[in-house]
Amino acid sequence: MTAVRDPRTRPAELPLGWLAEPRLLAGVDAARLTDYRAHLVQHGPAPVPGREALLGQLDAVSLTGRGGAAFPLATKIRALRAGAGAEVVVNGCEGEPASAKDTALLTHAPHLVLDGAAIIAAAVGADRVLVAVTDRATAVGLEAAIGTRPDAPRFEVRLVAHRFIAGEARALVAALDGGTPLPPGRRIPPTERGVGGAPTLLSNAETFAQLAVLVRIGAARFGRVGTAAEPGTALLTVSGAVRRPGVVEVPIGSSLDSVATAVGAYPSQAVVIGGFHGAWLPPDPRIELSRAGLAAIGGSLGAGVVIFVGQQSCGLAELGRVAGWLADESAGQCGPCAFGLPALAAEVQAVAAGAPVTGTILRHAGMVRGRGACAHPDGAARFLNSGLAVLAQDVARHQVTGGCGRPDRGHLSTSRDSAMAGRAVSVGMAS
Amino acid sequence: MTAVGAAPRQLSVDWTRCDGHGLCAALLPAAVQLDDWGYPIIDQAAIAGASEPEVKRAISACPALALRMATR
Repeated sequence: MTAVRDPRTRPAELPLGWLAEPRLLAGVDAARLTDYRAHLVQHGPAPVPGREALLGQLDAVSLTGRGGAAFPLATKIRALRAGAGAEVVVNGCEGEPASAKDTALLTHAPHLVLDGAAIIAAAVGADRVLVAVTDRATAVGLEAAIGTRPDAPRFEVRLVAHRFIAGEARALVAALDGGTPLPPGRRIPPTERGVGGAPTLLSNAETFAQLAVLVRIGAARFGRVGTAAEPGTALLTVSGAVRRPGVVEVPIGSSLDSVATAVGAYPSQAVVIGGFHGAWLPPDPRIELSRAGLAAIGGSLGAGVVIFVGQQSCGLAELGRVAGWLADESAGQCGPCAFGLPALAAEVQAVAAGAPVTGTILRHAGMVRGRGACAHPDGAARFLNSGLAVLAQDVARHQVTGGCGRPDRGHLSTSRDSAMAGRAVSVGMAS
Repeated sequence: MTAVGAAPRQLSVDWTRCDGHGLCAALLPAAVQLDDWGYPIIDQAAIAGASEPEVKRAISACPALALRMATR
């Protein structure tokens, strides 16, 4: 079963900013880069390396997918089944409600994404590029931007139904093939059998834009920012208890403190990194925003979502509400997820109401892990477990007094529109 | 025991098909337990040690055709 939902409306304007130098966001404050000529003035023409040269550059900077799984792009290209016409798919679905970076990129710097996709299409011998998005405004804007390109005919924009797991690679392939946006039960990767059965190179929109920057500036300059193991920049979507929520391009490995300063974060009791499949962490200003830095403390960067949970909000109420949302977002096609997540949600909500954390809740969190067609139960379990751990003192306080007196201020917004709408553009917010 | 270099046998579940009928747990009690909602929890080490005909019987008994052998 699946609920096909209306295409979302896009937040009117997203504030954009950066630490150090903007790359993907370079020039977005000065020109309308939706026009291909303006894009060329800003970035220059994109070289089109052959397959081997491209793979060499990707290997040199270890470019990984920016949708959350962080799979090496070069490995994905090498895994494409040979002997059949390949497909290239740009995933702009952005199922994470607290993520807005791909929409921001497709809205403000679409030609970097399209350049990157065209370069990969040339390298793997694909005739066309499919660009999948979930809201009509982004689709319309993309169509207009594509219309200004000399290679416009090779791009097709596809509007697909939105839901949290619809952005999962195999769920998106199913949607592009006209089916329901659900991951199939057998784990056959799109590189083997994707759109229309063809070997398919599918990656997140930001991945393609990073590639378009890489071929222009070369691996050496690309690696001047970032860490040795993870060169370059990443787009973060920062929200919650902050004065200026928005999309920020940061050198990989930037400290949480530098991001907190850039967005004007209020004093926080916790930070959620990696979105609703990510982890709650104590708001240590020294947290290094890289895959390695987060892995070392049990977190993950995911698709770059950073949410500050302010001290004025009840963290357990926020956790319980998102637990319910995660249960609702189960597609209901796999039993352990369909039954396990609602059970977990009820148990976490009971803890928010003053019940102790029991063995049952921990057992149920363990029980959903690895037992679905996609990673939704795994991600949900990680999110809930880490939340209960970080909020342990609150759990004790709630048991004694039945609560903490603070309301749920909605710092973890399950609606992207309410998290981001109504903010003025303030480009170049930080040094 | 599996031969050196051979991938161990695994019993894999297609979670989109499994309806929690529970026949696998009845037929392979040493290797398959049921969770709180009736869905199988598979001990792959026990599967690797089970006799192949027993495992195949469980696979073909599944009313939802949700089980298959996989190597990892």
